[in-house]
Amino acid sequence: MALIDVQDLIKRFDGKEVLKGVTMSLSEGQSKVVMGASGCGKSTLLKCLNLLVSPTSGRIIFKGEDITRPDMDIHRLRQDIGFVFQHFALYTHLTVEENITLGLRKIKKMKTAAAREKAAFELERVGMIEHRNKYPAHLSGGQKQRAAIVRALAMDPAVLFLDEPTSALDPQMSREVVTVINKLYLDNITMLCVTHDPFLAKYISDSIVFMHEGVVVAEDVAERLFYEHEDPRVRQFYLSVIDHR
Amino acid sequence: MDAFVQDLIHYSPQILAGLKNTLLLMAIMSVTGIAGGIGLFYLSLAQNRFLRRGTERFISFFIGTPLLVHLFLMYYGLPPLGIRLSAFAVAVIGFTINVSAYNARYLMTAYNGLDKTQIEAARAQGFRFFQIFRLIILPQALRLSVPSLTNQVIQNLKDTSVAFLIQYPDFFAQMQEIASTNFQFFKTYVAAGLVYLALVSVIVAAARRLERKVALPGLETLGRA
Ligand SMILES: Nc1ncnc2c1ncn2[C@@H]1O[C@H](COP(=O)(O)OP(=O)(O)O)[C@@H](O)[C@H]1O
Ligand SMILES: [Mg+2]
Repeated sequence: MALIDVQDLIKRFDGKEVLKGVTMSLSEGQSKVVMGASGCGKSTLLKCLNLLVSPTSGRIIFKGEDITRPDMDIHRLRQDIGFVFQHFALYTHLTVEENITLGLRKIKKMKTAAAREKAAFELERVGMIEHRNKYPAHLSGGQKQRAAIVRALAMDPAVLFLDEPTSALDPQMSREVVTVINKLYLDNITMLCVTHDPFLAKYISDSIVFMHEGVVVAEDVAERLFYEHEDPRVRQFYLSVIDHR
Repeated sequence: MDAFVQDLIHYSPQILAGLKNTLLLMAIMSVTGIAGGIGLFYLSLAQNRFLRRGTERFISFFIGTPLLVHLFLMYYGLPPLGIRLSAFAVAVIGFTINVSAYNARYLMTAYNGLDKTQIEAARAQGFRFFQIFRLIILPQALRLSVPSLTNQVIQNLKDTSVAFLIQYPDFFAQMQEIASTNFQFFKTYVAAGLVYLALVSVIVAAARRLERKVALPGLETLGRA
């Protein structure tokens, strides 16, 4: 059974239809990438799935539950979905370690010592342990994003969402972060990642969902989607994205 | 010895009592003003649009009208309506509302400068709004507002001298009384001014230390706003 099952999802922002009936699914242990031109609704899709944005209509089944029903506990849902943002969104007044332990202590109600131990374990995995007492302002972009990934993973979510995790990084730092996400992929972490980067997409996905103007128009593995897809909108997109690299 | 100095010594119990009242009022309104300012700041971020607007109007009203008018309104305007408050009560209430309004405005300004993606991240993590306010927004807004908030404490100290106009026996009221008995107006007011200056210097020194201590990482080099 799918972990997330989206059927005919529609989102309108004051009359403007941004998602026009999205249907897709994600199974446990699966990793999918969402690609498509800027403004086609990728971020809106992710935010509908954790109810940061409330869907206009359609069904979203998460762990067998319809999360669009009115009495849904949105806080509990969000605890189950890790979210990594393009611009890191670390808490500026807290150190790396405190960024990670805050949710563990205040949401998961872990004791401080246990939370710190958990943070140390996760930081070790992404090579960030020596930075744990630094503030976000004193980290490089790549380090910030790795810290943000750890903050999300430490909560043991059922799925990790990443919204253009490397777009704000220069190539060197981007490589650092791709390496980390690739490791998660190899560990079978369930992921849904929006990106414009074909390199990242290829190394972290089982399949790629292609969106165009608010609908999913194709889904396939990287090679077929990038080089030999029959849909002209898909070919058009990857011609411009891949040739310029 | 100079007659003026002898006067000061003679009246010192009265002066010290006044000084005590001044510092008491300042201390109370500094604390209640922070608490009230935080409360108004919280309401200004409320989900409910009417609550938000109402709070904004309240703040604008009390910043936009003179404190003295509020004090007089409560001290002289209420008794005919059957509500009689002591000078101390009027001073505490009036100053608290006034200072809260200013402090709320400082916090709101600081909030506008915050990186809002953090708030979205906290929501995505599953925090409730009150937790986000308490754990993320308030600590940062407070720390960014330290220069303004400490300036407000200095302002509070100076403003306490207005309280003598509603018969509150503060330091300035005592000095005023001494001046009107020995007719040494110039010397007495200069002495009063020097005392205020000394107290302000103490607050400024403490404020600078606090500012350095709580500066947000990455913003240490910005200095005073
Ligand atoms: N909160 C919002 N209010 C109004 N319009 C929005 C809002 N969020 C996104 N949009 C609009 O929805 C469209 C899709 O945005 P988004 O999902 O961010 O696209 P993408 O992530 O694919 O670049 C854009 O035209 C954007 O302007
Ligand atoms: Mg986007």
